[in-house]
Amino acid sequence: MTDTDLRASVMEFVRTQISRHVKLPAERIEPGSDLIGLGLQSIDAVIMCGEVEDRFRVELDPSTIFEHDTVGSFVDDVVLRLADG
Amino acid sequence: MTAFHLGVSTSGHDPALAIVDDNGAVRFAEATERFVQDKRAWGIAPDHVPHLESALAQVGFDAARDTLAVGTSWAGVKAELGKAPQDALLPARDTLWMQGLQGQLHATAGRSLLRLGLADAPPDPMRFDHHLCHAVAAAWFAPVDDAVCIVLDGEGEVGALSVFDMRARRLTRRFRSWGPGSLGTFYGWLTGLCGFDWRKGEEWKVMGLAAFGQVIPELAEVMRGMVAVDRGRLRFADPETLRRATDRCQPHVRRPADPVEAAADLAATGQAVYAALADQVIADCLDGDERLPLILSGGCALNSSHNGTIRDRFALPALHVPPCPADDGNAIGAALLAYMRTKGCDAVPRGDGSPYLGSTVAIRMLDKLRVSARGLAVRDMGDGSARAVADCLVQGRIVGVMRGRAEFGPRALGNRSILAAPQVSGMKDRLNAEVKGREAYRPFAPVVRLADTSAWFECAQPSPYMSVTLPWHASRRDMVPATVHADGTGRLQTVKRDTASWMVDLLDACEDLCGIPVVLNTSFNIMGKPIVHSVEDAVAMLMTSGLDAILVEDMLVEKPGAAA
Repeated sequence: MTDTDLRASVMEFVRTQISRHVKLPAERIEPGSDLIGLGLQSIDAVIMCGEVEDRFRVELDPSTIFEHDTVGSFVDDVVLRLADG
Repeated sequence: MTAFHLGVSTSGHDPALAIVDDNGAVRFAEATERFVQDKRAWGIAPDHVPHLESALAQVGFDAARDTLAVGTSWAGVKAELGKAPQDALLPARDTLWMQGLQGQLHATAGRSLLRLGLADAPPDPMRFDHHLCHAVAAAWFAPVDDAVCIVLDGEGEVGALSVFDMRARRLTRRFRSWGPGSLGTFYGWLTGLCGFDWRKGEEWKVMGLAAFGQVIPELAEVMRGMVAVDRGRLRFADPETLRRATDRCQPHVRRPADPVEAAADLAATGQAVYAALADQVIADCLDGDERLPLILSGGCALNSSHNGTIRDRFALPALHVPPCPADDGNAIGAALLAYMRTKGCDAVPRGDGSPYLGSTVAIRMLDKLRVSARGLAVRDMGDGSARAVADCLVQGRIVGVMRGRAEFGPRALGNRSILAAPQVSGMKDRLNAEVKGREAYRPFAPVVRLADTSAWFECAQPSPYMSVTLPWHASRRDMVPATVHADGTGRLQTVKRDTASWMVDLLDACEDLCGIPVVLNTSFNIMGKPIVHSVEDAVAMLMTSGLDAILVEDMLVEKPGAAA
């Protein structure tokens, strides 16, 4: 999988997850969307990290999600870890 | 030059230290509570200076020649994770208090090296994932190369459960639970409803009390709805559902002043729900028909009642629970991980199975005792000490034994134990009332020779660290009443000569004298205090309790009138 494909795959998964938690259609969730602005609660953010770990076989730092403001920035971090892994 | 590695358990509760040498051998491990004689040692540094100093002396550490690297049992600071403590089950104030202690010990871990002249600047410890520490410590004690390892805990870096695969002793995490969902928290909540205090580690009392009660089906259904198990991952229901469940339990709640029995049905119900949830986790973690040994660790692995049912129900080749599955044991995990990182190896070293990793008895105190213990009969029994204790036991006397190195973990496994004959009428009540100062219903554990296990117990399996509770054969129960619990079970310790030769000698001698090779073994402490650490602690307990005698190494010290 190329880096571009990988990023697209992670982005699609994260958008779907957020959409499920905040009850918005996935197409309304953009890379530049603000995580808090979307209404993502911290408990949901934590649970989503677990889903990302399970889906992509990567370990995230517990605080990863809280270090990012936007969907895209979080996805970039996950992709970086996958590339390092 | 030896490169030693110091592991410290930095949870804030149950601190402990462990030292691993540069061959990857655990040379020393001991909970701080033993040294400071303060139960659970909340907030006390695991590298408490005099304790670390004593431990280093016992491993022969030479400051001029050797080095000491430090590892901690948490990767990060809990309070910095941005999660608001939820208080639907346990009060948020307790969570905040514990977070404070963890942050403090995490920040200062290793600073004692400055005081001991072993560092000129604050050491920068290696930091390790909490559940990985549990898994590595458990693997050290497990005599297998391949296994599934489940860490069922109260908390963790991101959640309260991790599952690892071990192949050729290399651990890989399969998954971990994120977010709220903890069987440890569930049991802590249950402990509170039963009128006990989880902060004092009184979960034991609930487990013991469960044998006296009946499961209340509708309440079990309510409790079952508090935690979802999804592909092995745990998730609490929403806070409102949890509060409603607590409300539904109210008619069964016991106030601390109520009789203990008032909570028996609640305890039985909660224990049954715990077992069902833990079983669901285990079932989800076993792949198809392949059955590898299961290593179980984390604080929940202290639930010996449930542990005793696991192996046969899941048709496992073996269940391995370490002697120290709770957070004290993580000192060993952190020390081994520090060693592995320094050496660049990824296979977990394997121990010889001995849990006797703590302090030795201070021999100089024996000479002092001989001359100063006026009014007490002091005799050196030499090689005959096991026989002498057997003589005492069959005559109905209760003996505290302090020999060799202390056990690591919460169980007394013969080296810091109070022993009695289980066949003696009224022994359980006498021990509870006159020696231990605890509730009359609390059960006592038996020791048997490993080879005798199937002769005395159903579902016989090794239990070197008292990790499993098994049913006694019905025909045997009347022979050893002081060690038979209300539900006909016993939390047994199995011993063999290579790791517990003195205890095997004692069982042989008891069989010789009275035909019963079973001894009652309870921890050498009074309720609310840690297991004795010094000879002075042991003598103090002799003089302030119903103990008849103590054996310190091979020296038998008896009260006037008790001596044969």
